[in-house]
Amino acid sequence: MSKIEKALNRAHAERGNLPTLSSVPGTGGARPTGTALVVDRNSPSASPETIAKMAVGESRLLSAADLAQRGVIHQERASDPAVQVFRELRTKIVQRSQGQNSVILVCGVSRGSGSSFVAQNLGAAFAFDPGKTTLLIDCNLKSPNMHKMTGAPVLGLTDYLENPDLDLAKIIRPVGIARFRVITVGQRRDIPTESFTSAKMKDLIDSVRQRFRERYIILDGPPMSDIADVRILSDLCDFVLVVARYGRVTGARIEHCLNTVSEKKLLGVVFNDEPSIPWFH
Amino acid sequence: MVQMHPEQIAKALLHESFSSRRMVVILFVLVNAAVLTVGWFWPKGFTASTSILVEEKNIIQPLMQGAAVATEVADRSKNVREVIFGRKIMDAILETGEWMKDRPSPEEQERIVEGIKRRTLVSTAGKNLLIIEYRDIDPERALQVTQKYAELFIQESLTAKAAESRAAFDFIEKQAQDYHTKLARTEDELKELRSANLDARAGSDAELNVRLNELYTRIVHTTQELKEAEIKGTSLEKQVSTESESIATFTREGQYQARIAELQSKLDTLRLTYHDTHPDIIQIMQQMKDMTDAMNAQREKREQSKRSGRVEPSESMANNPIYQGMRRELSQNEVAVEGLRARIAELQLQLQGEITRGKRMHNGDARFAELTRDYQVNKDIYQDLLRRRENARVSMNLDLDRQGLTFKIQEPAVLPLSPTGLRFAHFVLGGVLLGILVPLGLLFARLQIDPRIRVPSEISRTQKVPVLAVVPHLWSPAELKALRWETGFLTLLVVGTLAAAAALSVLRLMKLI
Repeated sequence: MSKIEKALNRAHAERGNLPTLSSVPGTGGARPTGTALVVDRNSPSASPETIAKMAVGESRLLSAADLAQRGVIHQERASDPAVQVFRELRTKIVQRSQGQNSVILVCGVSRGSGSSFVAQNLGAAFAFDPGKTTLLIDCNLKSPNMHKMTGAPVLGLTDYLENPDLDLAKIIRPVGIARFRVITVGQRRDIPTESFTSAKMKDLIDSVRQRFRERYIILDGPPMSDIADVRILSDLCDFVLVVARYGRVTGARIEHCLNTVSEKKLLGVVFNDEPSIPWFH
Repeated sequence: MVQMHPEQIAKALLHESFSSRRMVVILFVLVNAAVLTVGWFWPKGFTASTSILVEEKNIIQPLMQGAAVATEVADRSKNVREVIFGRKIMDAILETGEWMKDRPSPEEQERIVEGIKRRTLVSTAGKNLLIIEYRDIDPERALQVTQKYAELFIQESLTAKAAESRAAFDFIEKQAQDYHTKLARTEDELKELRSANLDARAGSDAELNVRLNELYTRIVHTTQELKEAEIKGTSLEKQVSTESESIATFTREGQYQARIAELQSKLDTLRLTYHDTHPDIIQIMQQMKDMTDAMNAQREKREQSKRSGRVEPSESMANNPIYQGMRRELSQNEVAVEGLRARIAELQLQLQGEITRGKRMHNGDARFAELTRDYQVNKDIYQDLLRRRENARVSMNLDLDRQGLTFKIQEPAVLPLSPTGLRFAHFVLGGVLLGILVPLGLLFARLQIDPRIRVPSEISRTQKVPVLAVVPHLWSPAELKALRWETGFLTLLVVGTLAAAAALSVLRLMKLI
């Protein structure tokens, strides 16, 4: 049982208005109930309780070792340089957004730049803070990644955009990281990118942002070679983070990509996957 | 081209070599293997070396200063290569090194010779020391060839030196003979000229002038005398023609009568003063009487001789003495005139002779001066040549007796015991170094050429956009595990390579393999 579960249980015991959660044994078998989101919708305040209630959906939190296996940082591995780097990055973004929650689009310069990795870990770094939560939306329709975090294919963004009746709560999934939710691409991969321009998409973002003031929304975008998609998504977000991978892209390519993003929204470049010798930090 | 600081280069190289670790290790192993293979088959070389001292000044030179010239040897060091790589020495070397045993064809010989030349190193240490080094796989042969080189080089050089001084002597000798011949010829000509013009000697010019002057003077005087004599003769002839040849002389009677007359006049004078009794008158009267008697006697005698018919010398007709005297003088004058004329002719003749001599003398003088000059010049040169010839002879003898010996083997060649040049250990070290440097060099080249960004500061420098984070690779436990295995394996490979190289090196050193 995680610390959060313990805390939740304690809160429940004190107030007596929430059902006690019991941890679900087994791995990958957990299915998010969406309860937390229902609660969210009813009370759009950012009280610690709400955050705590969110955690109710986190049937099982993954250990540091499990996360490490999936390439995600964990607070416990504070000495890992990557952890420090993401923390610093998070702090910089928080400073830039002046404490307001914001929508951050993370795009790789090219395919394989590791934008999903950066988005995931940036989200994790936000979620380190008990006062903040993260919602990671996988917007990379061509090669989505986030479904790997949820294990099995589940309903996601595309399903939500296509199906007017689908409840938002059904697509927001916990992934075993405290205060960290994911919306996967979903099963309807055939929809055009233009769906992002729909009002529903904008509503989705707005509603998520406005209801949870402490929630940072990270869009895992397509590589910047898909200029159209990136342009559409950048309209939806507050900030854009460009990921360039060590030894993969030329300066000219980076310049080209940076020109597609408006300067106001451009946060900067994350230089990803610099070789590091694990025994010499 | 990406511009980087050394620190960035080092960091980038470290990153690159880590991310390309397999390539680095494989290259390390391959390079080591290649270098060790080359080293294994690299022929061992034994180098024998000898040094030859070129003595520029030895003891004999100051002693023979001025008398002999030592042939230069210093310049020889420059063309040692040309000397020892000459066909003659090379043939001897081929024999010495026993290359000719297999009776190689001329082409093969040429190739062998080229090889020998390549392995021969000629250098100079300082100004006077020549060092000949020869490298061979056989130490014995290295020694022999090096010895032979030194020996043949010195021999060749000395022979050349001797030939040079010999040639110099021969040349000077020939020149001296030439000049001797010339001198002799000039001498003969001079002799002829002298004997032909005995009087034509230098300095007789003044004498000739004196002589000519004297002759002129004498001719003038004699001519004057002649003229005087002729005038005298003319006037004498004139006088002679006016004077009668004979004159009528007074007879004795006449003489008596003249005397009586004289006495009479005297008596008359006395009578004017004195009486007849005066002794003087008496004496004069007496004398007159005697005279008259004598005159009578004479007359009588003349009458008698007239009758007898005997011719008496005419007392009345006698030769005119003045005439006679003038005639005599005239005749003497004629003789003198003749004599003077003859003298003038003689003097003229002498003058002519002197003039002829003078002309001849002047002609001879030019030739004489020319010959004398030739003679003097030839004589000077000849004497100089004689001196030089003697110097050359001494120089030649110096070289012949090897007294002016100017080459000395300073350091004789010895049998090389340990191989020189690249040894296996060098290859081991070189292999390790190259094994590190080659991959690093390749990675560096890739860094320089590849435009893809490996240094984050490059982005902020060129794009004016901040690099918010440099995310190091996040190692998952599985990756770490794999990396450990991989690193272990790669380390093993490197260590194994090093150990193999070291083992080979040691075994080879111990001559076990």
